[in-house]
Amino acid sequence: MEKMKLKLLYSDLGPELEMIEKELEQAVDSESLLLNDASLHLLQAGGKRIRPVFVLLAGKFGDYNIDVMKRVAVPLELIHMASLVHDDVIDESEIRRGRPTVKAQWNNSVAMYTGDFILARALERITEIESPRIHEILSKTLIEVCRGEIIQIKDKYKLDQNLRDYFRRIKRKTALLISSSCELGALVSGTDEKTAAHLRRFGYFIGMSFQIIDDILDFTSTDEELGKPAGSDFIQGNITLPILCARKDTEIYAMLKANLNKELSNEDRLMIVDTIRSSSAIEEAKAMSDRYLEKALRELSFLPKGKAVKTMRKIAYFIGKRNF
Amino acid sequence: MNGHQIQSKIISMGIEVLDAVRQRTLDQYTEGPSVKESRLFFLLLPFFDGKEWSPEIEASAKTVSIVYAALHAHDQVREDAPIIKEQQLTVLAGDLYSGIYYQMLVNTKNIAMVQRLASAIIQVSEKKTSFFEGVVRPLEEVEDAISIIETELLMSFYRFYGFTEYETLAKQALLYIRYADELQRLQSKNYSHALRELNTSFVHEIYTEHWLLEKLDSLHGKILTSIADCSLDYELEKYLLHQITPHQHRAEQLTREG
Repeated sequence: MEKMKLKLLYSDLGPELEMIEKELEQAVDSESLLLNDASLHLLQAGGKRIRPVFVLLAGKFGDYNIDVMKRVAVPLELIHMASLVHDDVIDESEIRRGRPTVKAQWNNSVAMYTGDFILARALERITEIESPRIHEILSKTLIEVCRGEIIQIKDKYKLDQNLRDYFRRIKRKTALLISSSCELGALVSGTDEKTAAHLRRFGYFIGMSFQIIDDILDFTSTDEELGKPAGSDFIQGNITLPILCARKDTEIYAMLKANLNKELSNEDRLMIVDTIRSSSAIEEAKAMSDRYLEKALRELSFLPKGKAVKTMRKIAYFIGKRNF
Repeated sequence: MNGHQIQSKIISMGIEVLDAVRQRTLDQYTEGPSVKESRLFFLLLPFFDGKEWSPEIEASAKTVSIVYAALHAHDQVREDAPIIKEQQLTVLAGDLYSGIYYQMLVNTKNIAMVQRLASAIIQVSEKKTSFFEGVVRPLEEVEDAISIIETELLMSFYRFYGFTEYETLAKQALLYIRYADELQRLQSKNYSHALRELNTSFVHEIYTEHWLLEKLDSLHGKILTSIADCSLDYELEKYLLHQITPHQHRAEQLTREG
């Protein structure tokens, strides 16, 4: 439902997004039936397509040509998809977007090769663009995203990490790819450097807000809404902002510490979720997300007024205030 | 170039790969980047054989090695549950190496090579996945899949820089090594996906074993002919036969026993 609401916000891009969707299908076409099935399985599960949307919207500030824009928009979504397939192996996720994950439907090996295949397709496509700058940004982003995930695994179950660690992690894990989507969309359409920089920062701030809200929703949503047990982040040892805020209370800290990295009963899990939910942590985390949201909106104020800014503002509000 | 110099260059390339992808957490928890000596040898073969070898070609050879390491890391991901930290980081090691190869080629403005390698990775992934399709396929298709998995990255490199004269020899030698490895796996009942596919085609393991032995025998003859065709110097030929394809003696012995 919420995804549909979000899609309504960028309904102006409907025909272009349909084209992107078709291109995505073509991009994952393979002579291997299994790879074809696995990739389409993932593609057809849908998704917000937020990265292509930001590429296209950023392109509206320059010389917009959908045939050029799609050469960046499609690979960016493919890169995101490839990382999801591999993430599901890392997190042992069985369900994504209400469907069995590639690893659950087939196995880990098939998921690994599907991810490699999709990433290679992304690089094969984006190298049709010759601009070194585009590739410098994208390759750096890919590396940073991986480093973020490596740090996330390293920091698992560390309740005593500081806020800076968390922000650095989500910057790499989520914000950078959204930021790069905006910047690459701007650059490929030939905007000036200043506009591209504002768009890059907008993407970064909105990406940070997006991830914080995601981390909040892991505690405030129901199992049904999430499609996985609420509190999964904590169960998997991912110490997110709500936990970092809640741990200031010594009693909660002791309770979290006692339950970290151990097999939890459903009752224990719900008790933890309830404790975080009813603490001030959720509001504190929301306030931090709001700060990023404000910063994102401020970046938009430097851009030429028009439909693209309007849509970006609506998306930003939606992301910052979404309930699911 | 003598055997010692060849060995030193291969080791030095291995160290450069290690340095290029070094990451503290991965160093601690994963086996690190792994590239078979035989693959490094064939990547460097044009250099050993005195072909023009620019810094750009050297850098490209290094990135191909990194791609091999990336794909190898993902081959190491097992089906065990629950997944352990080492395995999680092995997934990410492969992804990180992929980002690094891309960035290295971008830094040398070699975007065309990124595209070639991406196309090769697509083919390799398609062939690796084919072993999970659960269909009995003609033996030629299984052979073709193994050949692409073993050699496509190297072939892309050769074709890109015009080193095509080594294609046949490299294909034969890398296949020889792979089949020798599969034979060893078969005998120790440590089945690879490819081996399972071969066993399905042959119905009984004994036929798989005979087929592998015949392949090794036939490839050995072909390798000798290809070495002569390439006019490799004596030291290089000796290194290739003794260091890179050292399974010959065992294969002969097994053939006699068979």
